Amino acid sequence: MEEEDNNETILPEFPTGRVKKIMKLDKDINKVNSEALFLVSCSAELFIRFLAEKSAEVTKGKKRRIVKLEHIRIAVQRHRPTSDFLLDSLPLPSQPLDRPITDQIHPRPVTEKPVPAGTRRIDDFFNKSANKSPIQIDNEES
Amino acid sequence: MDDNIGARSSNEDNYMIKEQEQLLPIANVGRIMKQILPPNAKISKEAKETMQECVSEFISFVTSEASEKCRKERRKTVNGDDVCWALETLGFDDYAGPVRRYLHRYREQEVDRANQENGRNILKDLE
Repeated sequence: MEEEDNNETILPEFPTGRVKKIMKLDKDINKVNSEALFLVSCSAELFIRFLAEKSAEVTKGKKRRIVKLEHIRIAVQRHRPTSDFLLDSLPLPSQPLDRPITDQIHPRPVTEKPVPAGTRRIDDFFNKSANKSPIQIDNEES
Repeated sequence: MDDNIGARSSNEDNYMIKEQEQLLPIANVGRIMKQILPPNAKISKEAKETMQECVSEFISFVTSEASEKCRKERRKTVNGDDVCWALETLGFDDYAGPVRRYLHRYREQEVDRANQENGRNILKDLE
């Protein structure tokens, strides 16, 4: 986004339709005029720049080159206004975001693997039948 | 082992699409972050995704505050001044200055655009 060119038309980086959609997630929001939409887009970009810069400072302080979630968390903690609304929303360290969403709502059912041939089922020990030989190799599995 | 990724139900697809609609595109977010970071720095995928969520929270937070002001003043439409006010009220003074400049330039552009329209119309009348 151009800040210093006086004759340039300013264009926010983000698709305005998407920004509008996010704004309207709150049912209490009525109408938003185009100025407001434009400024929210601008502020969102400023916010990213600000938080990225602060996070990078943390990364650098730790002598790392990859900016990670924990660095963002520390940066958020250090800026009071941001921390007030954001700190509790950040994912916990034990919950990585790159688990597919589907796993979180519908855990995949565990299917029974067929046991390798030659395996004795422990049940057989208890299924004593006069006609069966003492060691029963059970190859049939569901 | 059979992996049923290909057989995702449409409910789950809808859920994931809905999630994405509530976030700004990760490509845009990533690009802006890269502009700020030193050239040799990298960003983890998790950090980019987290940033997406943070921005959406920020947008909701600011919008909600601006909207509340409108409600109290019995106005229906959130305008640019409300957004500026919300940023200042919420403590984002660092943004307030640049944002007011953007608002000023946006209004100038709107006036220019309107004048161009009028200019074209006047020329048409002269033909």
